[in-house]
Amino acid sequence: MTTLTVSGQVSAPVARTHAPIGRLLRSELRLVLRRPRTLIALGLLVLVPVLAGIGIALAADGTLEPPPGAEGPGAIAAILSENGLVLPIFVLTISLQMLLPMVGAMWAADALAGESSVGSLRNLLVAPVGRARLLGVKAFGVATAVVIGVGLMTASGVISGLVLLGGNSMITISGTTLSFWPALGRILLTALLVTVQVLAVAAVALAISSVTEHPLIVMAVSLGGIIVFTVLNAIPALSWLHPLLITDSWQAMIDVMRDPIPTDALVEGVLRAGCYLAIGGSLALARMLTRDG
Amino acid sequence: MTSTTGVDRGVNGVTAAAVTPAPHPVAARTRGLRKVYRSTVAVDHVDLDVPLGSVLGMLGPNGSGKTTTIRMLLGLVTPTAGTVELLGHRLPEGAARALPEVGALVEGPGFHPFLSGRENLLRCAAAEPLLATGGIGRAVGEALERVGLADAANRRYRGYSLGMKQRLGLAAALLIPRRFVVLDEPTNGLDPAGTREVRAVIAALHAAGTTVLVSSHLLSEVEATCTHVAVLHRGSVVAQGELGELLDAGDNGLLVSTPDTTVAVDTLRDKRIPARVTPDGLRVDLTTTTAPDVVATLVAAGVAVHEVRRQRAGLEELFTRLTEADQNGAALSDLDGRLQLSPVEEVSR
Repeated sequence: MTTLTVSGQVSAPVARTHAPIGRLLRSELRLVLRRPRTLIALGLLVLVPVLAGIGIALAADGTLEPPPGAEGPGAIAAILSENGLVLPIFVLTISLQMLLPMVGAMWAADALAGESSVGSLRNLLVAPVGRARLLGVKAFGVATAVVIGVGLMTASGVISGLVLLGGNSMITISGTTLSFWPALGRILLTALLVTVQVLAVAAVALAISSVTEHPLIVMAVSLGGIIVFTVLNAIPALSWLHPLLITDSWQAMIDVMRDPIPTDALVEGVLRAGCYLAIGGSLALARMLTRDG
Repeated sequence: MTSTTGVDRGVNGVTAAAVTPAPHPVAARTRGLRKVYRSTVAVDHVDLDVPLGSVLGMLGPNGSGKTTTIRMLLGLVTPTAGTVELLGHRLPEGAARALPEVGALVEGPGFHPFLSGRENLLRCAAAEPLLATGGIGRAVGEALERVGLADAANRRYRGYSLGMKQRLGLAAALLIPRRFVVLDEPTNGLDPAGTREVRAVIAALHAAGTTVLVSSHLLSEVEATCTHVAVLHRGSVVAQGELGELLDAGDNGLLVSTPDTTVAVDTLRDKRIPARVTPDGLRVDLTTTTAPDVVATLVAAGVAVHEVRRQRAGLEELFTRLTEADQNGAALSDLDGRLQLSPVEEVSR
């Protein structure tokens, strides 16, 4: 190996043209999970259900007096008290509106734009890691981080709910009571649906990430997009536009708390997220194949 | 086209010395390379040849297109027009076959600040196709050792000095034995000792038969380490060839120290060799003859010759002449057809 002089390449054995994919995925995961930002974000996602649980527990105790006539924390506390398994669903649904998409976009921003801004993307391209392959590896890293993030938040929500609010069953919005295991099923279903939605946002963010080398632009565009979508979604005159907005699905997420579950809106939400995933993925791929490294 | 034949002759000169005739006499070759960013022409008409086994120094002022050319050579950037051949493979189709054997340090080192030097290299190593998974740890350790970073290997990259960062970039380029190594300004930020080490690394690569492309704005560095030179100016190659040939071509003269100047000049003029008297002796023009002929002629005529030396322009002088030449190209006129030259008019469109 030390004297790699030129020999006839026709007769030369076929040299490996790319590193084993498992090695690349491990390396990517190692990078994502060692990045201080990732760890802080994951810590935050664990902390949110705990803080929400503490707040609601205090409100239910009457320690925090809700303002008269307000349907704020007091009302939610009324539902949640002694109904702790609702906490993860409550927290996931609320976080889906802004926190989780933001974290997903951040990971997508770091994946390509961040790597490009420190110049390390070049090292991978020259190695070489094929461009489509590189995008696949990056998408895997982002997706894994999202799954871990939602998973941790769910686990933290279940534990905080049980410990801080008590109860081992779930009272649904429809008024029925689910025992522990079916309730846990609902929680996992929520986590799954939320993951799909966050992945859809992350896919679009990854497409933006492939265009720029400034991670901040990815964050700004993603968050700006979500805010604009939310505003558009709140304008009834634009109802014709609403089926196109991913945020439209997020309002329907609370359906998992009904019994039986009305599936129409949830299925539609998954399909819509699928479209966003496909569009984001193909835009990112198209850009990766042509971008200057 | 004289320029093409000039290139081929230079290439053959190198391969003839090789033990086995290689099917691809150049490590990299570009033809008609052009890159336009929005409305700026970064690189135009670049016909660059990197002879196999050579150490090619790429010279040029800032903004002359060195880095853009290198990025196109490595398939990082898609040319607007023109072709790139790397280790016998056309880019971009052949990138996967050619790039594993190419090590590169381009546009400065690019690493994650929150990872240690070793972690960063492990990440590069994981992406190297030719590195077996079991050999990664050792390859990284050796690379760190080679660039003198073994002691700082576990420190975060964030805390590295400019020179240490540069060394880490060099280590990444040399993770495995390469056939072709591309170093873009490798001595940036290095102290004199570091610069010497980089020179030693380049010399070792050259001795092992690796082709090296070094871009630099430090002329002395190129003169000290390179066998070949390519000079870029305003996005075009204005001269390329063997370093010695390029220097000779600039001033084709022979300086002869002799007390018998009159006899010498007369003898040479009889043989139709132009010569003129200088304070120490005479200067003989070598456009139509060679140095041995001149010496033989003088000695045969009984002229006492104390010293004979080629009149060589330093690289710096040549570089200045090529890159600060008049628009009309007058300064290039004395470079002969052995070298590939683009008229300056073409450069500055």
